[in-house]
Amino acid sequence: MPAFLEMRGIVRRFGGVTANDGVDLDLNEGEILGLLGENGSGKSTLMKVLFGMIAPDAGRIVFRGRPLSGHRPSDAMAAGIAMIHQHFMLIEAMSVVENVMLGWPAAGRILKRAEMAQRVREASHRFGLDLDPDAMVADLPLGRRQRVEILKAVLREAHLLILDEPTSNLAPSEVADLLTILRRLRSEGKGIVFITHKLPEVLEVCDRVVVLRAARVSGGAPIGEVTKAQLAEMMVGRDVTVPHAERSPTKGLVRLRVDRLEGPGLGPLSFEVRGGEILGVAGVDGNGQIELAETLAGLRRPRAGAVTLDGHDITHAAVGARTKAGVAYMPADRSSTALVRSLSIAENLMLRDSHEPPCAQGMFLSVGELQDKARRLMKEYDIRGQGPKTPAARLSGGNQQKIVVARELDRRPAVLIAHQAAWGLDPGATRFVLERVLALREDGAAILYFSSELEEVLEVADRVAVMANRGFAGVTMREGADIGQIGLWMSGRAG
Amino acid sequence: MTDSAPRAQSSRLAYVWPLRLRLADSMAGRVAAAAALSVVASALLVALSGHNPFAAFAAMLKGALGSPHQVGFALNRATPYLLAGSGVALCFRAGVINIGAEGQIALGGVGAAALALHFPASLSVLAAVAALAGGALFGALWAALATAIHLGRRVHEVLTTLLLNFVALLLVQQTLAGPLGQFGAGFLQSPELPRAAWLWKVPEFGAHAGFPIALVAAATLSLTVWRTPFGFSLRVAGSSRRAAAYAGFSAPAITWSVMLIAGALAGLAGAVEVLGVQHRLIEGFSLGFGFKAVTVALLGALEPLAVVPAALFVGMLEAGAQSMQRQIGVPSALVIVIEGITMLFVLAATVRRA
Repeated sequence: MPAFLEMRGIVRRFGGVTANDGVDLDLNEGEILGLLGENGSGKSTLMKVLFGMIAPDAGRIVFRGRPLSGHRPSDAMAAGIAMIHQHFMLIEAMSVVENVMLGWPAAGRILKRAEMAQRVREASHRFGLDLDPDAMVADLPLGRRQRVEILKAVLREAHLLILDEPTSNLAPSEVADLLTILRRLRSEGKGIVFITHKLPEVLEVCDRVVVLRAARVSGGAPIGEVTKAQLAEMMVGRDVTVPHAERSPTKGLVRLRVDRLEGPGLGPLSFEVRGGEILGVAGVDGNGQIELAETLAGLRRPRAGAVTLDGHDITHAAVGARTKAGVAYMPADRSSTALVRSLSIAENLMLRDSHEPPCAQGMFLSVGELQDKARRLMKEYDIRGQGPKTPAARLSGGNQQKIVVARELDRRPAVLIAHQAAWGLDPGATRFVLERVLALREDGAAILYFSSELEEVLEVADRVAVMANRGFAGVTMREGADIGQIGLWMSGRAG
Repeated sequence: MTDSAPRAQSSRLAYVWPLRLRLADSMAGRVAAAAALSVVASALLVALSGHNPFAAFAAMLKGALGSPHQVGFALNRATPYLLAGSGVALCFRAGVINIGAEGQIALGGVGAAALALHFPASLSVLAAVAALAGGALFGALWAALATAIHLGRRVHEVLTTLLLNFVALLLVQQTLAGPLGQFGAGFLQSPELPRAAWLWKVPEFGAHAGFPIALVAAATLSLTVWRTPFGFSLRVAGSSRRAAAYAGFSAPAITWSVMLIAGALAGLAGAVEVLGVQHRLIEGFSLGFGFKAVTVALLGALEPLAVVPAALFVGMLEAGAQSMQRQIGVPSALVIVIEGITMLFVLAATVRRA
């Protein structure tokens, strides 16, 4: 019997950078393969090569006995390969069955809507997807939307499913459901490639794991013969656990006080954060996190309530006044809010205080000062770019986020609002960001740390609040937190 | 991350202000190719119309550069495009799509003519300056009207600026039919303006003082964009409105500033045309100037200093095309087509990709 999937010696270069350098990958029918690696290790490139989105410079692919070369995504789909992207490719204003029919010849030139709806129901039952064909995608939570993508794949008779970071937007209960669905697909003989950097999920659901590092396969093993620590080391080649054992207890006074804050999509909500304290805000995205973060940062106006910083009312202060008062903000949206990609590193570093000395001297920008400041911060915060004048767009995601960290933390803020500060970063950059946030905590700042990754919140926070339905569903100390209880809060059920 | 050596070099070069014209390494080559293509296309059209393309191009070249007078004529043509175009470039850089230069120029002409005609003779030394200021003021006011509707009623600025152009042109007609009109001229125009308000001209060349004024304006704008906190804030706003809000910049303040500056410059463009070339306000004196200013701004990649060669190019092209029409008898419609083709080719070759 020919191999299910065989990739041999895949090489792909982008300019001077080699993204895949002779990568081999095998997959069997009815197997879940975990594909692990840091950002930039080449795992997305490898899967894009497989799915025909980019052509390899060398190497060959055999899928179910047939060679695949020079193929495009449409050919890959016809051959039975489906890719489920991190950002779903669904039309929100359409129903489930309409999304399934979209671009699918089998739906007929004149759409066979009833027949398709029946097939959606059958497949949904068979794989435990629990989807109503007539539900609007806009009304579905992210976990369900992902199932629509899976449904599309199985209805199109995909034999191989590639899932790119499938759990990054899901609540714990949704993750558990997804893993159940993957096991069901496996039992039907589907092959699955599960791209992730979350080790616990790999250990829980995968049969085998392959690790990429710096464009090459750095290791691989059947699950059961490998530990979490070994996998982490294969990924980065060094120990990356964040030291959080010996931190001083929080003794500071209340610095940030939020009192019955209310706005569109938010609250009412009250809480306090003390100096030297990190309040972690967990929860599934879309439950008021962005509203809370932006209201505190001055980008949205509250309808009611008050925000005080060290006793001063900043409820209605403009962004500039807040910055001067000591509010730092790391937005979740890095590409168009936290950074201007077309501007240089130096310009991005002065984004929040360009009208103040030393950036501005009289009528003009002080170019010399700006260069010096940029050089100093690039060194201090390990921002790897050619020089202060390099456009931010040319940096990797990790280095872009370091610009934001440097800019916001170099002012020694009284309050930091960090939203998805480590999202999508590789373990090395994640560690860097978390260490800097912890150092700021030691300096006595009050920190509000939003993340949809519960593990990250538990690692960094002193107290954990869970957002659901525009407010805090519950708050608990990190020490002795009950994960089951947090999960219940996240799913929006009162506990 | 993925830098190859030549790109790194060009980026270093690009930062030496005022050399920062975003000229790609192969820019000269692409412009040459565009010029060659437009010459071939135009030659074909001229030949099809039954004229000798070689003679036509000779006439064109002579018309643009053939004599001091022709050079002065081309400079005078380029001046309103440069003034209005650098203002448009400023707006576009800030992400404000101001298509209203056409109307702002026309109103600038009205302002200049009104002041020149009614300026007290005892102060005539100041007549030209006052008339220029009047033009700038009228242009700025017209831009302010569009901005107020845009910000106050949330109507897109393309609509408010564009539609007010038509209103402005009708307003010019109205003023010429009424308060500023010359009775019995048989044509909508004002009486000739007093000589004290005319712009000084370089003897022999006939180039008026508007061009140096425009050069100073373009250089000042370039300095503003690249070297001042205000310029920085408008560059951020032009790249990302969200980033501008995060940086604490007020979007309405930026919109007001760039619109008023651009309106004043467009008004000045109308004023120099009236005071330097026509010496009276004539209906349709600036027809199409504002739209050409948009072309010139894009041709100059929204960099005020690069708008200078762009405006000169269009000015010379027009001067040459006119002489081609006069001397060879190429039909005027075809001349306009040739102008359009040439601008299109050069735009396609030079505008940087978004």
